[in-house]
Amino acid sequence: MGQVRRFLLRLANLLQPGKADDELDRELSAHLLLLEDEFRRRGLSGEEARLAARRAFGRIEQTKDRHRDERSFRWMDELTRDLRYGARLLRRNPLFTITAAASLAVAIGAGTTVFTAANALLLRTAPGVADPGRLVDINRSVGDLGVEPIPYSMYLDIRARATLVEQVYSYELTLRPVRLTDIPGQAAADAVFANRVSPNYFAALGVPAAAGRVFGEHDASDLVVLNHRFWRRHFNEDASIIGGSLRLNDRLYTIAGVAAESFHGNTVLAPDLWMPADPARPLEFALVGARLTPGASRSQAAAEIAAIGQNLRLPGPDIAPDPTARRRPAPRLTLSRSSPVPAGIRILVGGFLGLLMAIVAVLLTIASANVAGVLLARATARRREIGIRLALGVGRARLVRQLLTETVLLFGLGGLAGLGLSRVMNAAILRLLPSFPMPADAALAQDGRVVAFALGVSLVAALAFGLTPALQASNVDVTSTLKTDEQGPSRAIRVRRAFVVAQIALSVLLAVVGGLLSRALLRTGSPALGFDPRGVEVVSIDLSIGGYTRTTGSTFARDLLGRIRQMPDVETAAIAYATPVGGVLGFQVAIPGETTPDGGPFFDTLGNVVTPGYLAAMRIGLAAGREFSDVDSATSPRVAILSETAVRRFWRGIAPDEAIGRQITLQPMLVEVGTRRPVTGVPLTVVGVARDLTGVNGRTPRPFVYVPLEQQYMSTLKILTRTTSAQRIAREIRSLVTTIDPRLPVLSAGTLDDEGSPVMTQLRVAAILAGSLGICGLLLAAMGIYGLTAYLVTRRTREIGVRIALGAEPGDLIRMVLGEGMRMALTGSALGLLLAAGASRLLTSLLFGVAPLDPLTFGSVIVLFGAIALAASYGPVRRALRINPVEALRYE
Amino acid sequence: MSSEQTDRVELLQGTLDLIVLRALETMGPQHAYALASRLEQVAQSRLTLNQGTLYPALVRLEQKGWIKGSWQRTERNREAKYYRITRAGIRGLRAETERWRRLAGLVDTLLLNEG
Repeated sequence: MGQVRRFLLRLANLLQPGKADDELDRELSAHLLLLEDEFRRRGLSGEEARLAARRAFGRIEQTKDRHRDERSFRWMDELTRDLRYGARLLRRNPLFTITAAASLAVAIGAGTTVFTAANALLLRTAPGVADPGRLVDINRSVGDLGVEPIPYSMYLDIRARATLVEQVYSYELTLRPVRLTDIPGQAAADAVFANRVSPNYFAALGVPAAAGRVFGEHDASDLVVLNHRFWRRHFNEDASIIGGSLRLNDRLYTIAGVAAESFHGNTVLAPDLWMPADPARPLEFALVGARLTPGASRSQAAAEIAAIGQNLRLPGPDIAPDPTARRRPAPRLTLSRSSPVPAGIRILVGGFLGLLMAIVAVLLTIASANVAGVLLARATARRREIGIRLALGVGRARLVRQLLTETVLLFGLGGLAGLGLSRVMNAAILRLLPSFPMPADAALAQDGRVVAFALGVSLVAALAFGLTPALQASNVDVTSTLKTDEQGPSRAIRVRRAFVVAQIALSVLLAVVGGLLSRALLRTGSPALGFDPRGVEVVSIDLSIGGYTRTTGSTFARDLLGRIRQMPDVETAAIAYATPVGGVLGFQVAIPGETTPDGGPFFDTLGNVVTPGYLAAMRIGLAAGREFSDVDSATSPRVAILSETAVRRFWRGIAPDEAIGRQITLQPMLVEVGTRRPVTGVPLTVVGVARDLTGVNGRTPRPFVYVPLEQQYMSTLKILTRTTSAQRIAREIRSLVTTIDPRLPVLSAGTLDDEGSPVMTQLRVAAILAGSLGICGLLLAAMGIYGLTAYLVTRRTREIGVRIALGAEPGDLIRMVLGEGMRMALTGSALGLLLAAGASRLLTSLLFGVAPLDPLTFGSVIVLFGAIALAASYGPVRRALRINPVEALRYE
Repeated sequence: MSSEQTDRVELLQGTLDLIVLRALETMGPQHAYALASRLEQVAQSRLTLNQGTLYPALVRLEQKGWIKGSWQRTERNREAKYYRITRAGIRGLRAETERWRRLAGLVDTLLLNEG
């Protein structure tokens, strides 16, 4: 008790050191007066008594010191003093402080933003759930990547057998668009997004209701729970609707309640409402999560789940027996911490964020090196002060600590500003992301972990880059410093030069990476992509919402397309399952008489289901044969169009036109709408060969198969419309859809550019980040060059004066000063180009065929840095030319 | 000179607090000067009591809440900070005295056995 009290008081003492000192002074002078009285009583005179009292007391200052140590924490006391001193120095050099803190703030802010995204997507559990630490995802994986849904039978097996996890729940990964009617005052159908989940979903996640109740295990299946945001948006938080009914896809549901306000689903997708899976129609393919049983650790549970996975019947009943099953890696079950991004995708997201983090780390290094360079310069300027303090007996460790405190203060300032800046950047990043076809909850919250990250990074950088200048500064030869006025050791200059060279090298690296990515980004709009995404409006619909079947759906699509093509400003239009940039299907193709290079019967290909006119609308070139036409109907012979790569892969060494008329057998990884049975073994005749798409997976084109919508019906479709001069006509298409069928809502609308594949989005973000940070780095490097050459000119004022006096021409001086700057620029650029050459090889997959050693990018970066180095040396050169030899020599 | 030197002892770490508390308990509130004179008197000058150690001890005890200081007048009308022992201080003194006795007994036993 007493110890705690004492600790707190010692802390309190740090905050008001003066008060206790005054009190002690008073007490000590009282003490001395009493002693004086005593001596006077013994017969000494006034003055004698006073001196005697002083002598008798002993060393007052020492007493004060020991008192101070006892009542406070000495190191903290020193720390506060160092902080005050540091703050005063920073205030005295506002220009340095602001530029240094600002450059650090940009780097730390960018890093914090990337970390915030990683935190929100990967590290945290979705907000709003109870006891998130015990929540786990159970994942099925076949290869290394991707989300493999878990069939219902497997889900039941896991539920029955697992003992170390409980409350096993399941949910569909994607949201289902459903048509909502009955909203008062809204005539047209409205699409809302529902997530079908197992009935125990809310109980397992521990999410309570904000109003009404959530559904549970024994409830009827016609209940829905609303997302709080949806409740606000559509019902204005009207509590009277609870218990009322909602008409979704022409079926009546009862609103059980509204989920807690902080909960928006357990993944990044935020549904408008949750529906329990009907026991009669369970979730066929879903993702699974659970809660650890009390007392069980995650690793124990993971071992159990893996063992269960090995004993399950494979493959599930929902997938056609696959002759190649033996060759494929066996499906595995794994268990991991629950996060908003499902486990299979985590590594992809993580890899991309890792790339951004690497870019940011480079900038932070540049900014830190810049600050370290200036600190070194200041250390040199303060040599006399430091020498005096050393001579007065201040310990070197103490001095290093004090210099480091200043640096930490500066970096801390940068860190705090960076934290603020990252709030702005978060908002900007969210705007950069493409419009998602489903509502997503991408709130980038700055929680304690983010703050800790920003400040932690600042501290580590401060120590890493502050130590050299601090050690350098405190390493002063006392006698020589005090005796002479010499300008500092050449060792410090070497260290500074190394810092500047490193800055240039890393800026070159960033600039090259930014340049390469920008070039790749420009290419995505050029023929190199294989199609032309500019000026294409994309409108998504789901015909199953409108109650269409295979026959009525095809007819509807044909009608709709015909009417869109007649709209004004429409150049061409087509309907397809996927756009060229994303969400394509996977097909397995068997070729009579051919096997894959490793002897298997099936070629893995990508595919799309399209209407006639798709290739023309997307401007995908035709290498041979024809496009689909109205001839290819549901009753005519089944046909396909292959990509050039597919032709090369299927039949080695034939020309595109030789493929026309050949047969392939399609084994789509598809289930029939309605029966949900896999479609098997359809023989198709090749009628055309299309040019390759390179934008789909970045690097090498993969074999691609197109089949006509009339022959392979899909209910989720994208209407792709190319307008004559890139006007937006989403509204017109929307109203056309509503006119034809008021029950059919439009799910989303945007341009193909916006739509962008994740790859292109990543490219855009990375290019913008690397490019803008590269420019920051460039400016910092310029400041570094300027600072050092200017300093060197000052240092060599006398030497230059002598040279001028001895008849040096201005040209000689220019060469001398410029040489200094250009040498650094050249060394730095050479190093940077080497680094960039290495880094660009790692980025090949993002470059869309731009050569990793793209001469244009590398060349322009070299020219740019040369120009910057020249510009940065201009000031120092002028100063050198203005030196007056007479004054320079007189100045002793 | 040298024999006088060996007669004087330095206080063991922590024992000064005990002595101060004990003195305040028996004598009532005291100021630092009186406390110092009293201790030297009782110890018959065998104790080197540096003011440099007394003041830190006082602030330590005050921060623990075992003693409390307040400004008062001496009988000769000088101002001085008087310290008095608090209730927590009395409890602390009991416990510390007990601990000290046990420790001293133990050290004695060990020294006797070794001797």
